[in-house]
Amino acid sequence: MKLVVEGVGKDYLIPVIDSVSFGVAAGEFVCLLGPNGCGKTTLLRIVGGLEPATRGRVLLDGEPVTADGRHRDRVGVVFQEDRLLPWMTLRDNVALVLKPLGVAAAGRRATAERYLQLVGLGGFEGYYPGRVSGGMRQRAAIARALAIEPDLLLMDEPFGALDAQNRRIMQNEVRRIWRETGRTIVFVTHSIEEAVAIGTTLVMLSARPSRVRELIGNDGRVERAKLVDDLNTMIMEEVERQQGAAPGPVP
Amino acid sequence: MGPPVSHRWAARLHLPTLAVAVALLAVWTLLSWRYGAYVLPSPLEVVRGLGEVVRTGEVWRHTGASLARILVGFGGAVVVAVLLGLAAFVSPVGRGIVHDLVAVLNATSVFVWIVISIIWFGLSNWAPIFTTFMITLPVVGANIVEGVENVDRRLLEMGDVYRLDGRQKFAAIVVPSTLPYLLAGMKVGFGLALKVSVVAEIFGVTSGIGYIMNYSREILATQMVFVWALVMILVMTLADRLVFEVIARRLARWR
Ligand SMILES: Nc1ncnc2c1ncn2[C@@H]1O[C@H](COP(=O)(O)OP(=O)(O)OP(=O)(O)O)[C@@H](O)[C@H]1O
Ligand SMILES: [Mg+2]
Repeated sequence: MKLVVEGVGKDYLIPVIDSVSFGVAAGEFVCLLGPNGCGKTTLLRIVGGLEPATRGRVLLDGEPVTADGRHRDRVGVVFQEDRLLPWMTLRDNVALVLKPLGVAAAGRRATAERYLQLVGLGGFEGYYPGRVSGGMRQRAAIARALAIEPDLLLMDEPFGALDAQNRRIMQNEVRRIWRETGRTIVFVTHSIEEAVAIGTTLVMLSARPSRVRELIGNDGRVERAKLVDDLNTMIMEEVERQQGAAPGPVP
Repeated sequence: MGPPVSHRWAARLHLPTLAVAVALLAVWTLLSWRYGAYVLPSPLEVVRGLGEVVRTGEVWRHTGASLARILVGFGGAVVVAVLLGLAAFVSPVGRGIVHDLVAVLNATSVFVWIVISIIWFGLSNWAPIFTTFMITLPVVGANIVEGVENVDRRLLEMGDVYRLDGRQKFAAIVVPSTLPYLLAGMKVGFGLALKVSVVAEIFGVTSGIGYIMNYSREILATQMVFVWALVMILVMTLADRLVFEVIARRLARWR
């Protein structure tokens, strides 16, 4: 197992994540689904070592991930917001993260341009983030995460700011990059169609305090349309439960 | 294509302000007739006096002397303030100390520093320099510390994810987000430096705008007091327009 999530839980003022466990094999493309506010971002941050867990632990290549983030593997993170440095051009933003890897200046520049090209930002390398659209910023953030060639890529609703057309293009791109590079990806989304279209494993979280409601292998054995229907029913139940409107089924 | 040239000029000059200025000049002239040139010299005399100091070159000598002292005192304050900002960035303890230091310095009067600097440095250049340093340090320091505290945590976290080390985060994230605060502090600090150093120059030096103003008063040349006040205003305005605004525009290139 590349990544093992073992009874991970998190309490803020209220318990947010009760206990979540699942394993991810190397090269898997995991999609995390769940209602708004159920702790998807929190879980992703714990997996990335950005936030300590209240309970349980996360193993990356068998080694525990700690909140200081000093594990051996390269982890790329695409946050829900773009988190680009507004005073640097898109090119410099991507090139910056190659510095700690010891890449020389010319190499950093070339790699940055290659990945910006890859996400469809060729010609915008010299633009400042404030001068491009939200969707373009999000794509630059994706280019930045890809540029370090991460062993594990964590993405938190990376296509949230994109229109339907660009969303489809980026889904195909990420899917293609995943196939070509064999990266392990954990991808948070609240779009069931998106999860079914690109994930190999779908993890549906329950309402807060969350647990794994369902873990589904998306290997084409179940028909896609049916899968989308089933997942839609599930998420409706969880949303209602979270709002306290319906008691929901007993798990 | 902007608005027509004449229109732009009118906007620049701001006609209502101009009208008020003309009215004030008229009142000033009337009052100077009423009370005489010793109490209030007329605008014309002041303009003539300004022409005179420019012609004799006195204006450069005294303005230069004041600016040189400001450069050392205020420049030193900026350097030390940056170091304080650095301390506030690297350790929370440092941040607390810097906060308290700035608060204490801010609460200290100009006069305290003038008296102390005369005791310590005697009647020399170092008295106004030291006074300027002590007065501008908390202003610039407070701005830098505020800038350091306002660095976006989410960007620093991004730096952690991509394993930038302390130096790389400092150069790529902390410095660019703190620079606007530093510039704002320097702008206010420079204005203060000019005002304060001129007061300190009343004692014990024989050059500088403060010295020559006080000297003009002693020889009953009131119009020269007004001339040097005008010079001060010009220096301040020019520094704003030629230095700070230009730097601010450069810094905001990416906006
Ligand atoms: N730093 C924090 N301090 C306190 N509570 C927090 C903190 N971060 C998140 N929470 C709470 O944890 C819960 C889950 O937040 P989280 O952002 O993980 O949800 P999410 O599933 O990503 O939601 P969304 O779909 O809206 O992105 C929310 O109720 C939120 O208020
Ligand atoms: Mg979220």
